[in-house]
Amino acid sequence: MLSDLAGYLVTGLGTGCGYALIGSGLVAVYRVTRVVNFAQGAFAVVGAMCASSFLSVLPHGIGELAAVAVAAVVGLLVGLLATTTTPQSALIVTLGLAVFAYAVEVLVWGDQPRSFAGLPGAVSIVDTRVQAHYLLIIGVTLPVFAAMAMFFTRTDTGKALTACASNPYAARVIGIDVRRMGLLAFTIGGALGGLAGVLVTPVQQVTFDSDVTLIVNGFAAAILGGLTRPAVTLVGGLLLGVTQALVAGYGNAAHQTEIALGLMIAVMIWRAIRRPETQEAPA
Amino acid sequence: MIEVKDLVVRYGPATALDEVSLHVDDGEMVALIGPNGAGKSTLVNTLSGILKPAAGSVSVRGRLAHVPEGRQVFGDLTVEDNLRLGGRRYRQRDTGPVHAILPRLAELRHRRAGTLSGGEQQMVAVGRALMSRPDVLAIDELSLGLAPLVVADLVTHLRELNEQQGLAVLLIEQNARLALDLCARAYVLEAGRIVAEGPSDELARDDRLAAAYLGGVVADAE
Amino acid sequence: MKLLLLALAAGTLALPAFLDTEQLSIYILAGLAAMVTVGLSLLMGHAGQISLGQASFYAIGAYTAGILTVHGVPPILGLLAAPVLAAGFAAIVGVGVLRLRGHYLAFATLAMQLILLSVLAQSDWAGGAIGLQGIPRMSVGGFELDEDSHYAYLTWAGLAIVLVVAHNLVKSRPGRGLRALATSEVAAAASGVPVGRYRLAVFALSAAFAGLAGGIYAFYLGYLGPGSFPVLLSVEYVVMAVVGGLGTLAGGVVGAVAITLLVQALNDLGTQPGMPSYAPSVLSYAVYGLLLVIVVLFLPRGIVPALTRKERT
Repeated sequence: MLSDLAGYLVTGLGTGCGYALIGSGLVAVYRVTRVVNFAQGAFAVVGAMCASSFLSVLPHGIGELAAVAVAAVVGLLVGLLATTTTPQSALIVTLGLAVFAYAVEVLVWGDQPRSFAGLPGAVSIVDTRVQAHYLLIIGVTLPVFAAMAMFFTRTDTGKALTACASNPYAARVIGIDVRRMGLLAFTIGGALGGLAGVLVTPVQQVTFDSDVTLIVNGFAAAILGGLTRPAVTLVGGLLLGVTQALVAGYGNAAHQTEIALGLMIAVMIWRAIRRPETQEAPA
Repeated sequence: MIEVKDLVVRYGPATALDEVSLHVDDGEMVALIGPNGAGKSTLVNTLSGILKPAAGSVSVRGRLAHVPEGRQVFGDLTVEDNLRLGGRRYRQRDTGPVHAILPRLAELRHRRAGTLSGGEQQMVAVGRALMSRPDVLAIDELSLGLAPLVVADLVTHLRELNEQQGLAVLLIEQNARLALDLCARAYVLEAGRIVAEGPSDELARDDRLAAAYLGGVVADAE
Repeated sequence: MKLLLLALAAGTLALPAFLDTEQLSIYILAGLAAMVTVGLSLLMGHAGQISLGQASFYAIGAYTAGILTVHGVPPILGLLAAPVLAAGFAAIVGVGVLRLRGHYLAFATLAMQLILLSVLAQSDWAGGAIGLQGIPRMSVGGFELDEDSHYAYLTWAGLAIVLVVAHNLVKSRPGRGLRALATSEVAAAASGVPVGRYRLAVFALSAAFAGLAGGIYAFYLGYLGPGSFPVLLSVEYVVMAVVGGLGTLAGGVVGAVAITLLVQALNDLGTQPGMPSYAPSVLSYAVYGLLLVIVVLFLPRGIVPALTRKERT
């Protein structure tokens, strides 16, 4: 049924936007610091949890923004620790911080799923009713990606970040504070993760351990662009979300995970075969 | 301008620079020659603050700009962006003066630095360093991998800068002949130690050095 | 040194006779964790790979033993099949996945476990989400292991086997080749070390160790469910390996025992009257996270190497 398809597409694009945002957070951090940030999913969860609390006292819009701000600060804190060591060790540090985040999340918000109200109402698309909130997700994500692109290519700070990503040694030679740029990248990653959590939670409850699925899907989206290209991450995220929605709709919802992860592993291996890299001195 | 006294720099247990002393005065062009692995890049990295001395002292009066070995331009950014980043530390955004000295960079300004030839990239690297309006320029391996004509062109620009604006230059080079031709004074660095120093023409006539660095035949001026 | 090892071996072998049920369960869990961690420590320390899915092999071993014996296969065969199947799975997955390096491998192993758990939860032949019930007790030639202390001795034997095999591997020529791998893959390949094959071998071996531990676990517990093998368990193994010291056998054991005891202590603390119901988990997560961060930042080689280095200086 065409109407079913339209419905699946919209919901798939919505969740896909969430994955793309997480993925772009991974990209922002990786490009500048070469660190794969395992806490990226935690940023989303913290953002979502904070929003669920803030929105009981703050109006819509303000509450979500405040939550994103908190997530950005958390990103900065993670960055402060992660940038003190090599990228390989930093991976484990971010993993440790993600686990520590569980403790904080359960302590403050408990271990049950949480959600909050998003954009109310439903919209008719080709004869099928779709929650209006999905449109909000898409409507916020696309401009955010556009803004990011402009930031990295048109602003001085953005170009300095790109420079650090392109050639950290040369960046240091000309006096760019590479560590500070790294912290900025982590803060941006935090904000993007927080935004993902805030946008997606109204249609998908979040628990303290939701970060695992989020980061795996975000990574799957980002890996398509080699962890360095935001535009490709967006495409990857959307594709992933739509594929999952179609599988859930036409097939078995339980197989979503396998499809997504299987695709991701296939892509990784394919890239590795095409471009074999040797790695010196692992962790 | 640059004063290095008994500098010791280590990489873990290995000593890269062992009590090195040298100086560059205002407006001077000084060469530092020596083979691969002698520690020349280590010295420049210490001068620009990337490495820290284990002992001894480094003092730089005025601004030092470092042109790193291997060009090291930001390939994903345009030439213009590369230049502007060079001035970022000192809030210099105006690329005009650098365009005046190196007109080719004005022509290339919107090209992605990664698509340029080696010589053009070297020019970008020099221009990027000049953006900080330095008093002394430390250039690491200017000629590496570049055609002689291209190098000659760059050298002309450096001479101009030195004569017209009093820019001091520390030229770190494997190509000893080039370095000794351009600079009035030179040091020879081998395995982390200064093994010779003095006016370039004297060094050029030294038998040992000629054998090691100048192709074996002493200049037959006498 | 040899004397110390013999004393430890004898002491730990004698220990179960003096422990009560709760202590025996800690003994067994620590021993099983040690078996898994030794393999993971080898993988991370010698072959330089990070696995965030080691609990998958533990699960495969457990389910293999469980499913086989539930269908009438003699338990001893079920136990022997556990490491074999786990290693086989690792070998197949490894062929593709081990081409990846560092963070890519970390995600791939994580994904591998998520897929496995999802598949198990949906498979009726594995008991689905509820799990496998009624696994028969382990028995060897008529003698049935029906006391907890029996499983403690079985665990001791399993760990002993793992340590002997691992020790021989490390000392052997392939083992030295592996150590070369850990420091520089390029140099190792240049000196003729068959990098790909060695990596795969260590991956499969670590899976075998975990599989054997899983098999014992299945018989000890008597029932299994996907919920017993969460991703967090894989993270726990990583914490144990990192804390104990990557690449050393003693490190794997020390890390596993230390963390198991620590978790037990936290559990006791968290279940004191007056503590909220989520206290045990909050404390565990906090400690895992902090340990990982602190050890990596301040004691990057882990406890055992730090201690042995102190002795030498």
